[in-house]
Amino acid sequence: MNVLKVSKTTIALFVLPCLLLYICLVFVPIVVSAYSGLLDWNGIGESTFIGLENFKTLFFNDSVFWPSVRRTLLFAVFSMAEIPIALFVAILLNRFVKRPNFLVSSYFLPVILSVVIVGQLWKTIYNPASMGGMLNGLLIAVGLPEWTRSWLTDPSIAMYSLYFVALWQYLGYHTLIQFTGIQAIPADLYEAARIDGAEGLKADWHITFPMNIPIFKISIVLAFIGSLQAFDMVMVMTAGGPAHATDVISTHMYNMSFLSMKYGYGSAIAIFLVCICLIATVIINFIFNRLDRKYT
Amino acid sequence: MSRIAYERAVKRQIIYRGKRLSGIGKALVYALLSILVVTQLYPLLWLLLYSLKTNEEILSGSFFSLPASPQWNNFTDAIQSGSYLKYLSNSVFVTTITMLSVLLLASLVSFAISRFRWRYGQAVMLVFLIGLMIPLQATLLPLMLIFKNMGILNTHLSIILPYIAFQMPISVFILSSFMKSIPHEIEESAIMDGASALGIFSNITIPVSLPPMMTVCILTFISIWNEYILAATFISSQGLKTLPFGVYTFVSQFNVNYGAIGAYLVLGALPVIMIYFLLADKITKGMVAGAVKG
Repeated sequence: MNVLKVSKTTIALFVLPCLLLYICLVFVPIVVSAYSGLLDWNGIGESTFIGLENFKTLFFNDSVFWPSVRRTLLFAVFSMAEIPIALFVAILLNRFVKRPNFLVSSYFLPVILSVVIVGQLWKTIYNPASMGGMLNGLLIAVGLPEWTRSWLTDPSIAMYSLYFVALWQYLGYHTLIQFTGIQAIPADLYEAARIDGAEGLKADWHITFPMNIPIFKISIVLAFIGSLQAFDMVMVMTAGGPAHATDVISTHMYNMSFLSMKYGYGSAIAIFLVCICLIATVIINFIFNRLDRKYT
Repeated sequence: MSRIAYERAVKRQIIYRGKRLSGIGKALVYALLSILVVTQLYPLLWLLLYSLKTNEEILSGSFFSLPASPQWNNFTDAIQSGSYLKYLSNSVFVTTITMLSVLLLASLVSFAISRFRWRYGQAVMLVFLIGLMIPLQATLLPLMLIFKNMGILNTHLSIILPYIAFQMPISVFILSSFMKSIPHEIEESAIMDGASALGIFSNITIPVSLPPMMTVCILTFISIWNEYILAATFISSQGLKTLPFGVYTFVSQFNVNYGAIGAYLVLGALPVIMIYFLLADKITKGMVAGAVKG
């Protein structure tokens, strides 16, 4: 029970500056968005109220929208598929490496770099060999010249090139999270397991895995919400091109609002994105609450 | 780490590890872990080599070769024609102001949520928690309109304000959960001595809360220092750009001088990498704490 009894003025003094700033800059814009999502408006001139017309166009008449949703979800799937790999690496690090901190820190290094740096770096790596691109150069050097591609301008492959960069950047983050999670599991459990005859990877399957479920939740929320919001990486590397082949929900929104000047329509997409994020968070929490109950 | 904690960690490690690996298994594990080091770090090393090459060396396409003689003029070109120092100082300014404001505002609110006896503490907390799920991109457009009407578009204020707001949820979350764990006896005796709420806040709570404040600093630093989209949308004057935006501008303008582009990317990455070398342990801990927000 909190003990500090204070006057209303004191409470206001502590809470209001921050709360007001926060509400004005986060919630008010969302409300404005929700309203302008119902308008036909180019952002400058007159606006007309058209009800749910924007959403109708979005769901039924927009050839870019559903593919962009599919790519966003695929992004989330790939990011989550990375988590078991990260767990495996974390187990190896914990089990077999004497001083794992150096390795963990090196894996983590890409995480702290700006998306602009990472995006431009990989753009350079993906360049054609004639422009000094590393990947194509490497393929030619190992005798696979037929595998060389224009990784970011070939519509059938550009999106996968982007997924790969994101996976590359965040592998270290997930590894670090799982690694820290494993270190927090009490040693007694492993001692008891050894007496019961479970050692090595078997102990990992029966102890590390279930004990790390709350940590999975952290990783999954991070991967899922992060992918839904995937934006700057795509903007920096392809801006949705070639011919919308790498558009995700948020870049579609950005292009509609800022390039096509359809503010109302862009706001409708923004609101769709907010809803998806909220729903995803609720679903993930629900699933993990059930898992928690099952295992504890 | 205290001695006892250290010994406990070592004992834990010994118990966890169990049997040692046989030769082949060991080789496999080390091979895998080393491959990962290469994939995670080689691109960065490659970039460094790239930045020291001449255009001819880059275009000749031998991806692992060393530069014949390091082209330091790539760096001088980049610094001079890319107004690197200007962008750098803008980034330092914006990040510092954001960090200080986040620390001040978030600790005030967290103190109120975790220590005051009042009815709406949990409600305020909930408001901040909902914010964790709201994507920043969804507010870009309305914020731009609002800032335009306020006449602050294309000033540092127009990016600092949303930066503060979007760092708030995670900071309040981290600080308030720490402050909840501070024992009440301390402030009870302080109340006996006649201390005010503000006095307790600044003389007791803040000094004890330095570790989570460090975490908040790190999280704010990493995300604000690297932020690109908001800066690119709200800022248009050359002289106001932050480093990531500056890097982007430079790279898209000088698209034939490969070496200088490489040099600029290296320069762009340099500050954060240097800080990482100094504070790797604190940064990784902070980032784990930051991930727990879900």
